[in-house]
Amino acid sequence: MAETANNGPRPLEGVRVVDFSWIVAGPQCTRIMADLGADVIRVENESYLDSMRNGMQVFPDRPSLNGSGMFNNMSRNKRGVTANIWHPGGREMVERLIKTADAVLENFSAGAFERMGFGFDHLRELNPNLIYISISGFGHAGVDTTYITWGPTAQAVSGSTAMSGYPEPMPPAGWGYSYLDHTAGYYGAIALLEGLYHRKRTGQGQYIDVAQCETGMMMGGVAMLDYQVNGREYQRQGNHMRWPATAPHSVYRCQGEDRWIAIACETDEQWDALCEVLNADDLATDPLFATNMSRVQVQDKLDAAIEVYTRQWDTRELMYVLQAQGVPAGTAQNSEDKMEHDAQLKSRNFYATADHPYLGPRRFEGLPLHLSRTDWQLQHGAPEFGGDTEQIMTEILGYTADEVTQLKSEIAV
Amino acid sequence: MTAPLDGIRVLEIGDRGEACGLILAAAGADVVRVEMPGFGSAGRRQGPFIADQPGQERSLHHAYFNLNKRGVTLDPSTGDGLNVWRRLLERADVVIDSTGPGVLDEINAGHESFANLVEDGKLVWCCITPFGLTGPWKDWEVNDLVQIALGGPMMSTGYDDHEIAPIRPDGEHSLWMGAEFAAMGILAALYEREGSNLGQIIDVSIHESVSCTVEGAFPNWEYAKRLVQRQTGRHSSPARTAPWQFVAGDGGYINLMGGGIPRTRGNWSDLMEWLDEFNAAADLREPQYEAAVHSDPMVATTERARIAEVIGAFVQSRPAEEIYRRGQSLHLPWAVIRRPEQNLDDPHWNSRGFFGEIEIPGFDRKVKVPIAPWQMSESPNELRRRAPMLGEHNFEVFNGELGLDAQQLVALAGSGAI
Repeated sequence: MAETANNGPRPLEGVRVVDFSWIVAGPQCTRIMADLGADVIRVENESYLDSMRNGMQVFPDRPSLNGSGMFNNMSRNKRGVTANIWHPGGREMVERLIKTADAVLENFSAGAFERMGFGFDHLRELNPNLIYISISGFGHAGVDTTYITWGPTAQAVSGSTAMSGYPEPMPPAGWGYSYLDHTAGYYGAIALLEGLYHRKRTGQGQYIDVAQCETGMMMGGVAMLDYQVNGREYQRQGNHMRWPATAPHSVYRCQGEDRWIAIACETDEQWDALCEVLNADDLATDPLFATNMSRVQVQDKLDAAIEVYTRQWDTRELMYVLQAQGVPAGTAQNSEDKMEHDAQLKSRNFYATADHPYLGPRRFEGLPLHLSRTDWQLQHGAPEFGGDTEQIMTEILGYTADEVTQLKSEIAV
Repeated sequence: MTAPLDGIRVLEIGDRGEACGLILAAAGADVVRVEMPGFGSAGRRQGPFIADQPGQERSLHHAYFNLNKRGVTLDPSTGDGLNVWRRLLERADVVIDSTGPGVLDEINAGHESFANLVEDGKLVWCCITPFGLTGPWKDWEVNDLVQIALGGPMMSTGYDDHEIAPIRPDGEHSLWMGAEFAAMGILAALYEREGSNLGQIIDVSIHESVSCTVEGAFPNWEYAKRLVQRQTGRHSSPARTAPWQFVAGDGGYINLMGGGIPRTRGNWSDLMEWLDEFNAAADLREPQYEAAVHSDPMVATTERARIAEVIGAFVQSRPAEEIYRRGQSLHLPWAVIRRPEQNLDDPHWNSRGFFGEIEIPGFDRKVKVPIAPWQMSESPNELRRRAPMLGEHNFEVFNGELGLDAQQLVALAGSGAI
């Protein structure tokens, strides 16, 4: 089932998404839709250029709007047009495109798309059954809708940042990237799929208002209950596990620079196996470490004692030996580990290759799901800036080649 | 107003798919959690518990992750239980199966055993497993700590000081990521089914779900063979960047995205006026600092470091919530770092209807819980029921829907099948 190179139908064949997204959250959502077979058409313009096109240039000596590795990864499988919505001809082109769409997506700050002339009422005039989905930090409804978020801002407010790291007085460790940009994209895809399914069954389009901060708050539900029921404020635990309290449950240094292994023993059998693999008689016989309950009481001491042994091991070698004995253990993998040495990801062809006209053949992150009859496909890299404008205008929207040339000369498209 | 999944019947079996069932149940699906007779799901033994007293009906983990679901007990490894399982499957649209690769098929209860319902029928069978259904690691023992380590988020997350181990953010995020992709796969399969009238198998790998959720770490390696380095409370990066996270005057924490440096000159002058109110602008009125507003936030410069230092000193003199509200009123993307429960009374989320109120057996007041992270104009956000008690809907489902009579139910219970 790891093969994704099938040429069969994909589940969202025939769905068209007109995509005004930028940065990460919106593009992540539409990347999933495109992988699943939707015709995702990015609408771009230099006046609201996706900064991802400028970031992470693959050829720093010849920077290009088509030269970003980050953009290629986030917008693979999509098509792209450019349009100047402040030129009547450009706006008309965008409106004709919206009339052919099943869904329109944007992730501007709340209110921005409406100020560009695309409020929901107008969108619905253009296309009565349209699904309009916005992804913004605080959502379009509510009292603080003017608030501005990036991934880290949303993580901070939602509780995700506070739930990562060692207890006070250590500060939160947070997340080492915009986790909630991705999560908001994932929930955006879920919401849009729900909207499409709802429309398929009822004929109704709708307005979906996704709030990125709320996607993070979903993951704090248990902590919210603990506070309301038990009066307990959330406390960080480092790498330890509180519910249920099990030990060892931590990350240990191995041989080499900044190499680590995660080990968790959930049973006494696993603990015995760990001691045997490490050849650690002192740990196996220490009464302080005899039971899970006793180990939990002295966890810092336990961790230090285990690390004396793990430091002598190569992290991957120790992972394989422990897994062979049924002990939950895994290397803290960096991208090199995952992309060059991870036998599991390799066996499932997770980093498959596709072509990009400027960047050439490159590997992409897979979509982590496979459908047995209508699987997703990796077909091509991200669109060049405006790369599909002419084709989409003539083949979908009915413009003549001369009309396209004229609009291009007026910088309308 | 109808919910998107009104009329869709989902069976959820196993312990790694709870969040997927939660998402589908919030969208209106009739999700029936299938638990082992006598024992129940693993989540019932996972704290926190009401008043810290463990018990089958006292887990707050269970109370949250099973909102809007119904619950039955059933052991499909018994002959009678397998028969009941078959009858449930015949009436279902979707199965969320997180029991592990091949586990149900060993007892003739998995998607291979019921291929007729999936391949020739309309059943969508979604397997959520740690590594997927195939591959050399598919039977490895893991938990959330190990999955976050293997998938990559851990090496991007932690502290500037690399003597300190990299960090697993708390919250069972590997299960959330797997659940989110499983929900997408199920919804895509249901959408496709409207045309084809056919079901299919979905293979969701949690390892892959985590592995694709690492942002810049992936392109940095693929395009530049660079590894990113973890940093305290901010993005990992190939090169060290200036801090974003500060302690406020009341001991709370503040996130000043990009070091707190505005991106436009308008924001900059607003910020300078605010600092002047407290005589805190130091030397930032000198022109080189305003010019730094347009420089690349990921490139460290002495000007950016100095601005971050002055702003950092200022925010340490004021309460965290005040910095957040005032900063946002000036259109600065600044935030207070809240614990999850500190959002319960925030007017904004409450004005959006993000929370619903629900009872919990064994606790005397209603509690607030998140419903869904969106508003849909044609579908309400509503809580329909609290999490099920163990076997709470056995009679309703087995008698009311499958037509088993009381005598048959007693016999099934007596044999341990339900």
